Amino acid sequence: MSKLKLIDGAPNEIIMEREFDAPRALVMQAMATPALIKRWLGGVRATVVTAEVDLRVGGSYRYVFQLPHGGEFSFAGVYREVGDDRIVHTERFNDDPRESIVTSTWTERRGKTTLRVVIAFDSPAVRDMVMGTGMADGAGESYDKLEELITSL
Amino acid sequence: MVFAMTPERLDATFSALADPTRRAILARLARGDASVMELAAPFAMSQPAISKHLRVLERAGLISRGRDAQRRPCRLEARPLRDASGWIERYREFWDASFDALDGVLEDLKKTARKSKRTKETP
Repeated sequence: MSKLKLIDGAPNEIIMEREFDAPRALVMQAMATPALIKRWLGGVRATVVTAEVDLRVGGSYRYVFQLPHGGEFSFAGVYREVGDDRIVHTERFNDDPRESIVTSTWTERRGKTTLRVVIAFDSPAVRDMVMGTGMADGAGESYDKLEELITSL
Repeated sequence: MVFAMTPERLDATFSALADPTRRAILARLARGDASVMELAAPFAMSQPAISKHLRVLERAGLISRGRDAQRRPCRLEARPLRDASGWIERYREFWDASFDALDGVLEDLKKTARKSKRTKETP
């Protein structure tokens, strides 16, 4: 079972939560140090070929990934807030001019750390798509059918 | 591809879906093709108002209109919906895989931290 939880948020948000069996300082270090980022970001799905991190307000970051079957994609943005347990940055996918705002918080409890990531898009209804609730709320059977149809495709 | 859909296409899909009337129209079309008149019936809305929503849905590629000049029945095109929900699913999978790998890195860091602590404690 996946340890990554998706949580209900505002209509334009995706919220992810994940617990790590390590203290906060260690988790933040692993997530903000280029040499360490290269070892985990993308997991088995993509390889980090570039990881640049300038972790200060106004500083930028850039991750470039390579896919197993060729092809590249990137995430890049600027840090808006850098705190001991909270980082806010913008995120652009493949240098698209539209950006989302990503707020990450790390909460340590009994040696374990919960990371909460809130990704806010400028376009609404995204959360509906994510949670699959937009198609199921309010209109009963017909929405269920649409959902069924969509998932069966 | 991890993210096969362009942000432009996603935006069109998401903004078309942002409206509850348009979502209800899609839900109705999931049960079968329908004319503008049939679609307008359950809503307290004029046919021109419904037609406006249909144009938004058509531009987003979420519906197509039939050739029959009289009825021009609307049909649900589910591909953009599938692509949009697939995009987010892949986004989730990307982070899921990343965080699973991060678990391993954290174990390594903890081991290193314990080792250096032990070295410091030994005189």
